[in-house]
Amino acid sequence: MLDTLEEIINKIQLSNRDFLDIRYGYAMGESFTVRNGRFDSVSNQTTGGIAVRALIDNFWGFTTIVKTDRESILKAANKAIKMARAGSKYTKQERVICDDWVFEGSGSTKIEIDPREIDKETKFDKIVQAEKTAREYSDSIVEASSSYQESHSKEIIVNNKGTKVSNETHVIRLIKNIVGRQGVKMQNVFDSAGGAGGWELVEKWDPEKEGLKSAVLVEKLLMAREPPSGKMNIIMDPSLTGVFIHEAFGHACEADGIIAKNSILEGKINKQVGVEGINVYDDPTIPNLRGSFEYDSEGTKTRKRTLVENGILKEYFHTLETATALGMEPNGSGRAMNFNVAPQARMGNTYVDNGDMTLEEIAEITKNGVYLKDSYGGYVVPAKGQFYFTCQLGYFIENGEITDMMGNVGMSGMTLEVLQNTYAIGKQWEPAFEGSCGKGGQWVPVIGGGPNLGVSDLVVGGTN
Amino acid sequence: MSFDENLHELAEYVVKYGLSLGADQVEAYTLYGSAKSVQVERGAIRRFTDISNSGLGIRIIKNKSLGMASTTIFTKESIENSVKSAYELAQVSPPDQNFNSLPFDDKPSPDIPDRFDQAVIDIDVEEFTEMILQSIQQAQITDDTIISGNFTTGYGKRFIINSLGIDRTSTQSSVGGYLGVKIEEGDDIGNAYYYDASNVLSKFEYEKIGKVAGERAKKMLGSKKIDTAVLPVLLDPDSTYGTIEPILSNGINAFSVFNRTAFFVDKIGDKIADDKLNISDDPFYPGGTDSAPFDDEGVVPQKLKLVENGILQTYITDSYTAPLVGLENTGHASRSSFSSGPRPTPYTLNIEPGEISKDNLLEELKEGILLIGSPIGSRGSNPQISAQINQGFFVKNGEILYPVKNTVIGSTVFDIYNKIENLSKETENRNGHQAPWMLLKDLKVSGGK
Repeated sequence: MLDTLEEIINKIQLSNRDFLDIRYGYAMGESFTVRNGRFDSVSNQTTGGIAVRALIDNFWGFTTIVKTDRESILKAANKAIKMARAGSKYTKQERVICDDWVFEGSGSTKIEIDPREIDKETKFDKIVQAEKTAREYSDSIVEASSSYQESHSKEIIVNNKGTKVSNETHVIRLIKNIVGRQGVKMQNVFDSAGGAGGWELVEKWDPEKEGLKSAVLVEKLLMAREPPSGKMNIIMDPSLTGVFIHEAFGHACEADGIIAKNSILEGKINKQVGVEGINVYDDPTIPNLRGSFEYDSEGTKTRKRTLVENGILKEYFHTLETATALGMEPNGSGRAMNFNVAPQARMGNTYVDNGDMTLEEIAEITKNGVYLKDSYGGYVVPAKGQFYFTCQLGYFIENGEITDMMGNVGMSGMTLEVLQNTYAIGKQWEPAFEGSCGKGGQWVPVIGGGPNLGVSDLVVGGTN
Repeated sequence: MSFDENLHELAEYVVKYGLSLGADQVEAYTLYGSAKSVQVERGAIRRFTDISNSGLGIRIIKNKSLGMASTTIFTKESIENSVKSAYELAQVSPPDQNFNSLPFDDKPSPDIPDRFDQAVIDIDVEEFTEMILQSIQQAQITDDTIISGNFTTGYGKRFIINSLGIDRTSTQSSVGGYLGVKIEEGDDIGNAYYYDASNVLSKFEYEKIGKVAGERAKKMLGSKKIDTAVLPVLLDPDSTYGTIEPILSNGINAFSVFNRTAFFVDKIGDKIADDKLNISDDPFYPGGTDSAPFDDEGVVPQKLKLVENGILQTYITDSYTAPLVGLENTGHASRSSFSSGPRPTPYTLNIEPGEISKDNLLEELKEGILLIGSPIGSRGSNPQISAQINQGFFVKNGEILYPVKNTVIGSTVFDIYNKIENLSKETENRNGHQAPWMLLKDLKVSGGK
């Protein structure tokens, strides 16, 4: 396929200023869900096709097709060029892609045990045992579900600047969601395991232990205190720190939002955005994490990104277009969910780096507040710099001690305030939040992580 | 052999091939979709897009065991591989004793007015762009207003065939778009967005998108943090619909009822809300973007009264869940994509009006919050609500004083339904979704002051 795409791109005459890329995408996956003892989804999915982007006279044309023969691809390429030419009269903004960045090579997620070689019964067994253990734990558990997902995707990218890249990504995941109910009170515990890799990442996942762990937590949550409300000091666990840094800061660092003037971090490179001790990175090259990959969907080799160093903003997430526009280096952040959509500037594995405090020390200086754990997710409005995220549970902090458990709650904060309001950074970061990040209708696997983090003046939206 | 041009033939082939492998029942759900988009960035047009959204979903039942597969590749080899995958999964997956049968329904499906408009298909991208430029112009409140957005025209053709005799086809056109507008005055940022969608080009209010987004962004300048307090909250029709609909959808769908995670389990005939709340679901509402002549299993639904004077009237069901909750199949099967299995979901809700004018509701607000296009969001089957206000205003003595920021409402889905103090006599109809203004009493509002 690489040769075919190269041959086609070489046939098309464009000026040096213009840009054309052709991306072949193919993905297959399996997913199984067992819920309350019944399999309600047992599914195999295949997607595949060709995406063509043309940037001609400052305007983009983008088209996709599912046929992969030479003639159809050539036709699609000419269509994208025609669309771009037709649109160029509508923009006066300069839009080009620098000639300097040419990538050649192939990458692949390292797999020790290929999940496609594992029989279905073994996969079923993991989720059946986890679900059954949780469901049978007590009468309060009204719904137990567990899912298995694996996906195997391949992209081949060529462009008229000379890039020729082939990249494979393999992602595996086990999920459980346990719901407890007592009258109108309901609590659920969701978590997942896995990452970019093979069966070896879930082989040691003990379904009975995992099912029991969630069921016990749900039971405790049904008896927990109601969450408080108002502005207060918060300690976040590594999962919550991960979602917090992803929502509060990561999205605002996406350079397509910077170019579109829709980020509060526009013009803030080399400016102080946080307290001195805080460092924030995004590193898709860490093996086996859910947001890990070698080349992005534009064929750019990815690398570790330094977002914040000692409180100073250092870098944005770039596509080829945004790096050219801002005169910066691309860093392999152009990710597309599948062949049918265009790459956008996206995160991979985003985390706050280690500080030096223990949880007990952070609680002591927090004095009164809440210690919140395990995120469900969140969202941000980068233009306004206002973000929101949720936790599954928490504990009260009273007189410097972590005390009673509380139920789930959501929090709101302002991007430009939170890194300035960080008053304590824990000792050991963990890639604790394994999620899927949504942007412009596209969902990509990501990690959010960090150590325990103490932040003042976040707004907690409880009922008490 | 390729099925690109005839997805009905493809669906028929899938059913036949699945049965030939030994399946007990087979269903093919095929979707032909095409979408053309225009992207707006910094007030100018950035990109034209033309993509296909076609795909095939297969469900196979063997000895009460389920196997599913999906593909976007319509070669004979790929189709047959997908059918074989679904069959193989049905052979190895454990049986579901609750499974009864895929549906059969021979009721004639109605023609829904304004569901398909050839003008949406025929419009040239440059003509469409001219409409978008007019919308952008409406949003251009100041010279340096920052405007982003996306507009799409498209259509989808849905074929559902199963081995019991269901054979349905329907076509729907769609045109829609949104603009996000940002206005800066020093460090102060006003930001808002607005959207519209329609099946019919002439009913697509593209100029209104820019006008409303621009006006709202301007009104969001000068936002302030507020004190934490218990306050009444007044919701505009968009916020009302976006608050009431997800709670009802999670509260009465028979899948969640059977699993006992539905908010309103065992509540048919019981009071679930203040008696001012009346809600019906009309699958055939003319021009409704969520209206449909049949559900995603091919069953023809009917108009349902869901809540009457605050009392729950029924659950919504599909072929799998109807026998589990002891009700008829109401034809509410809905798939989030061709690759997903169906779940019961409402079509087009009508939240009925009250008797007071919306101006009176605002005037009588001594101290409270006004939400514009900012639903109090609930999260799936979790009844606890902790929702950030994205577009809200502090109101005192009926006067809108300033927008609020960094503010969260804490409540529960049950409280939201029971704290309905009043509904306005005026309603708004957005793409068939009808709702009035709604006043909720005594909600915990957490502020960042």
